[in-house]
Amino acid sequence: MIDLEFQVNGKEVHLKVDDSKRLLDILREDLDLTGTKEGCSVGECGACTVIMNGDAVASCLVLAAQIQGSIIETVENLEKDKVLSQLQESFLDNGAVQCGFCTPGMLMSAKALLNKNSNPTEEEIKTALEGNLCRCTGYIPIIDSVKEAVNKN
Amino acid sequence: MPDIIGKKVRRVDGYRKVTGEAIYGDDLKIPGLLHGAMKYTDIIAGTIKKIDLSKAKNMPGVVTIALQKDVPGMKKVGPIRQDYPPIVENKISYSGDVIAVVAAKTRKQALAAADAIYVEYESLDPITDVETAIKPDVRLIHPEYKSNIVNHYPLRKGNVEKGFSESDHVIERNYRTGFHEHAYIEPESVTVVPDYTTEGYKIYGSIQNPFTTRKVVSMFMGIKLNQINVISSTLGGSFGGKDDIINNLACRTTLLAHLTKKPVKITYSREASIKESYKRHPYIMNYKVGFNNNGKLNSMKINILADSGAYSSQTFFVTWRSVVQATGPYEIENVETDIRGVYTNNTYTAAFRGFGTPQVIFAQESLMDEIAEICNISPRDVREKNGYKQGSITASGQRLTDHKVSLKQVMEAAVNKSDYESKIQKFRELNKTNERFKYGIGLACSFRGCSLGAEGIDTSSAIVSVQADGSIIIFTGVSENGQGLQTTFSQITSEILGVPLADITFLNSQTSAISDGGPTVASRGTLVGGNATIEAANIVKNRIFSVVKDELKVGKLEDTRWKDGYISSKIGKEKISFSHACEKAVSAGVNLSAYGWFKSPDVSWDDDTGQGNAYFTYVYGCHIVETMIDTDTGKINVENITAAHDVGKVLNRLGAEGQVYGGVTQGMGYGALEDYNIQNGEVKSLNLDEYLIPTIKDIGNIDPVFIENEDKHGPFGAKSIGEPTLELTAAAINNSISFALEKQNYELPLTLEQVFLGKKLVKPSRQSEVVHASKKYKKQVPYINKISVKTPKNIKQALTLMSENKYKVLAGGTDIVVQARHKIKPLKLINIFSLPELKKIKVRNNEVEIGSAVTFTKILNSEHLTNFKLLLQAIKTIGSTQIRNKATIGGNIVNAAPCADSVPPLIAYDARLRLRSKENERIVPISEFIKRNYRTIIRLDEILISIIIPKPKNYFYSYMQLGRRNAVNITRMSISVLINFDDKNRIEECIIVDGSLFSRSQRIEVVEKYLFGKKLTKNMIKNSVKYLSEKIENEIGGRWSAEYKKPVFINIYKSALEDIYKQRKQDD
Ligand code: FES
Ligand code: FES
Repeated sequence: MIDLEFQVNGKEVHLKVDDSKRLLDILREDLDLTGTKEGCSVGECGACTVIMNGDAVASCLVLAAQIQGSIIETVENLEKDKVLSQLQESFLDNGAVQCGFCTPGMLMSAKALLNKNSNPTEEEIKTALEGNLCRCTGYIPIIDSVKEAVNKN
Repeated sequence: MPDIIGKKVRRVDGYRKVTGEAIYGDDLKIPGLLHGAMKYTDIIAGTIKKIDLSKAKNMPGVVTIALQKDVPGMKKVGPIRQDYPPIVENKISYSGDVIAVVAAKTRKQALAAADAIYVEYESLDPITDVETAIKPDVRLIHPEYKSNIVNHYPLRKGNVEKGFSESDHVIERNYRTGFHEHAYIEPESVTVVPDYTTEGYKIYGSIQNPFTTRKVVSMFMGIKLNQINVISSTLGGSFGGKDDIINNLACRTTLLAHLTKKPVKITYSREASIKESYKRHPYIMNYKVGFNNNGKLNSMKINILADSGAYSSQTFFVTWRSVVQATGPYEIENVETDIRGVYTNNTYTAAFRGFGTPQVIFAQESLMDEIAEICNISPRDVREKNGYKQGSITASGQRLTDHKVSLKQVMEAAVNKSDYESKIQKFRELNKTNERFKYGIGLACSFRGCSLGAEGIDTSSAIVSVQADGSIIIFTGVSENGQGLQTTFSQITSEILGVPLADITFLNSQTSAISDGGPTVASRGTLVGGNATIEAANIVKNRIFSVVKDELKVGKLEDTRWKDGYISSKIGKEKISFSHACEKAVSAGVNLSAYGWFKSPDVSWDDDTGQGNAYFTYVYGCHIVETMIDTDTGKINVENITAAHDVGKVLNRLGAEGQVYGGVTQGMGYGALEDYNIQNGEVKSLNLDEYLIPTIKDIGNIDPVFIENEDKHGPFGAKSIGEPTLELTAAAINNSISFALEKQNYELPLTLEQVFLGKKLVKPSRQSEVVHASKKYKKQVPYINKISVKTPKNIKQALTLMSENKYKVLAGGTDIVVQARHKIKPLKLINIFSLPELKKIKVRNNEVEIGSAVTFTKILNSEHLTNFKLLLQAIKTIGSTQIRNKATIGGNIVNAAPCADSVPPLIAYDARLRLRSKENERIVPISEFIKRNYRTIIRLDEILISIIIPKPKNYFYSYMQLGRRNAVNITRMSISVLINFDDKNRIEECIIVDGSLFSRSQRIEVVEKYLFGKKLTKNMIKNSVKYLSEKIENEIGGRWSAEYKKPVFINIYKSALEDIYKQRKQDD
């Protein structure tokens, strides 16, 4: 068991969890933040992507001990007071969402990119999202959405 | 002009999906929930001799373990033939068979108990190819059906022999396609809650066809349909894939809920999903065709074997569609088609978007290109000459008169949009001069029957319920699978009643609330469900009209306009708000809920002759694909895809385009990338690191082109779009590859080897050991057992710990957490990821020292490392952004995987590793550190502290890497080259390191020696190959993979040196 103190979506969290838990489990099971999804458990699909200390990471590969003191942001943090972020709006307007299972991870990867680079090239967008698989949309609407969010911001 | 039909409309369920609020199968939380897990078979084929549950039953948390004898109803299920046991009795037919199901307090406990079930078997040699399976005297997979042939559909039209004898040419070709995994990103999940009001169950989960699930579970449990309410959760992708598998899973989950009287959830891991779930059928197809010099087709004889795998499932339906469409959209007087579904011990096969057509289209359209070539006409001409026109008669004798036959139109649209003709010329020119990269362009066409056709009863239902305040609830018998059906139906209702979309709510399907709407398959959702919605909406509209017509001073409904929440007169100025009208209607006692029902027009089929009106309407499509092929390696880049489809009418442009992008990308994966690796019945590609689907970097531009010929049977004229988008792409890619290489290819997928060698290269299956019993200490599906982690404050503490006990080092965790899923024994880790001493990059005069816990992202961004270009280039390709943000350079080295991409450049730079234990420190060259794949010289008490690299001279460098995808690859091979020249232009230093070729990465000294002191010329590069070739032959020549690896490595070696040759020239 490990005593954890860290921050999720701006709130301080104190938890005692089993060492074997991954960040993904802590979010979904202990904090009831089920927006973050599990698609492969091995870092290949990106459905579990969250932002940790500013970087997009696969939360299925982060063990509890490694989040001590860190700052985590999940998809649940994007909408503020019923207002969607520009990225979310663009995803909806451009058809970047079909089944939606990849969407939380996509949004977080895109957000991590835009936090660091407010004017990315198409190649940079693709690199930021290369670890996020989508089986529904063929990616093109997703690329368009990120570009639109960049232009509108 | 419609108000909202045809526009770009946001998904009505989109808000919940971008905020993370949407509830998918596994997101459901219920107090007191138990978790289930499967005990899978340990063998591929044979019989169970003994099942021992004693150990498993006593495992912590276990509540019950169910076997087939516990099933209260039918033990076997299946859509046509009930041959599938959700839990087997004693016969094993494929690697995904389930022997027992465990319910326990937690998922881990259930999985651990499943692994503790001990089974003894009598194994049989699996039958894994259809050609063997149909031989006389071969073992029967299911003896009760007397044959391994599941079904046989013949089709007879005219006289093929006569047709052949009257033809100028008769050719015969064989085609093959592989399995295809749906790879929906959400793995399967089902939750069952006992329902005391019905003495039955509520079933939730990722369910594609709730009514089918209900039927199957009722049979399995021996209870009535009205005792089961199936409520689908938000579905994380299906593509035909969450049908039978999810029904079977629902059966098992319900059984556990029945036995425990508790709610039970089963969620699959990706591995369980890939292992158990059905795939697209592999086909072996023989086409014989007779045609004239001018390209006119006279006669076609087709013989197809479809691998049904261990169970029949949807094989009957899938192969029926193939028989209807096997000749493609071409009018041929004489046709003889035979298709047979065949049992084997492979993974069973069933529905997958496309449903029996991508295979035949691939064969048929490849054949058309060959015919064009023989007749010396263009691929387009041969298709126009033979293609369906208004009034044409299909192979099944159906005259196409009832809808607009638009084959020519779609082809023209695709040709124009893609600039097909001029690109053919352009690519031919380019290919004349380009040696290495060849450009291809290929076209493929199809026609496709809409909805179920003569496959089954084709009806659907919808309820439109208007509330007193004017808000509306819709729900339908077909369901939202992610394709956007909720949005389309909301649009339809909005259009008819003139209310804004915001006032319409779509309820997820519930089987107890509406009558069976049939399955959401065959791209029928919009067509049949849309028509039912129209009917319901119109009934309500008429009822409201009857209440307000006096106030509006109109006599006929046609004289009113329903728009923006108002009903107004077209004649006068009268106007009433929709909500007010509803209020009035409710107070007048009018029922504002209506039931819509749609029954498709009649179709017909004769099973003996394969003649009949198979579908009531058809759609037409044409894809044109442009590719670039690296002939050095066989790697394909799909650059541009034009997808033209006659969809009848576009209802939601955003949705329609989305279907095209998604379908085309799946089709591209099917044709060029996805390779389900099953050997001797055992599935090897169990996760998405081995089963590769397209990433964002693998798909080029896609141009959707819509042709709208409104269909009289479709809602607002709409037909289908979901499946046609997928079925054509692989065929068009194949034609484009054949164009580029000037050589026909006959097999999919177009893997590197398939393109480069023209054949598949399979690892010879080792004389597979005969398994007699469950293996101890082996997990059937991976999951994390028990990990304990110590996080020391500094290195000293870490080293002390290491000296006291056996620990493994946890750095970035990107490898170790993956490996932990396969381990049985508890894993003890020392977490060094955050130790500041290991996160530094130190710069000294002539070297840099990189801390072992520095992440790849840090390295890429470091201002101190910009000169290490070779290393940076290699690191860029490691994993994905998420992985590089976490994975460390030390972890990559110590893990010593053959594909560890940072290692070859570090060898090239002559890096040294600082290894420290509590007492000692040593520094070893990296070339000596790795002994062979996954083996290093590090001691158990040592930690890799840092990597010391001499500052590089001003080298010329070249790095070439080959993977199947353009991102998130496992490197197939790489080469790292550093070269320096003296002032006389002679090579004075030369370093060449392989990646993933030899048993460990190493400098290729024989070649280096040869190059040393020489001038780099094209001739010299050519001459040096001899040495490399010998070296490869000696080291790995005997391996099965050498046939590909050897020539390709030589090719990338040559490219790397030529690359330096070019850089050098520019420098001069
Ligand atoms: S679940 Fe973490 S990357 Fe797939
Ligand atoms: S929208 Fe379904 S996986 Fe991306």
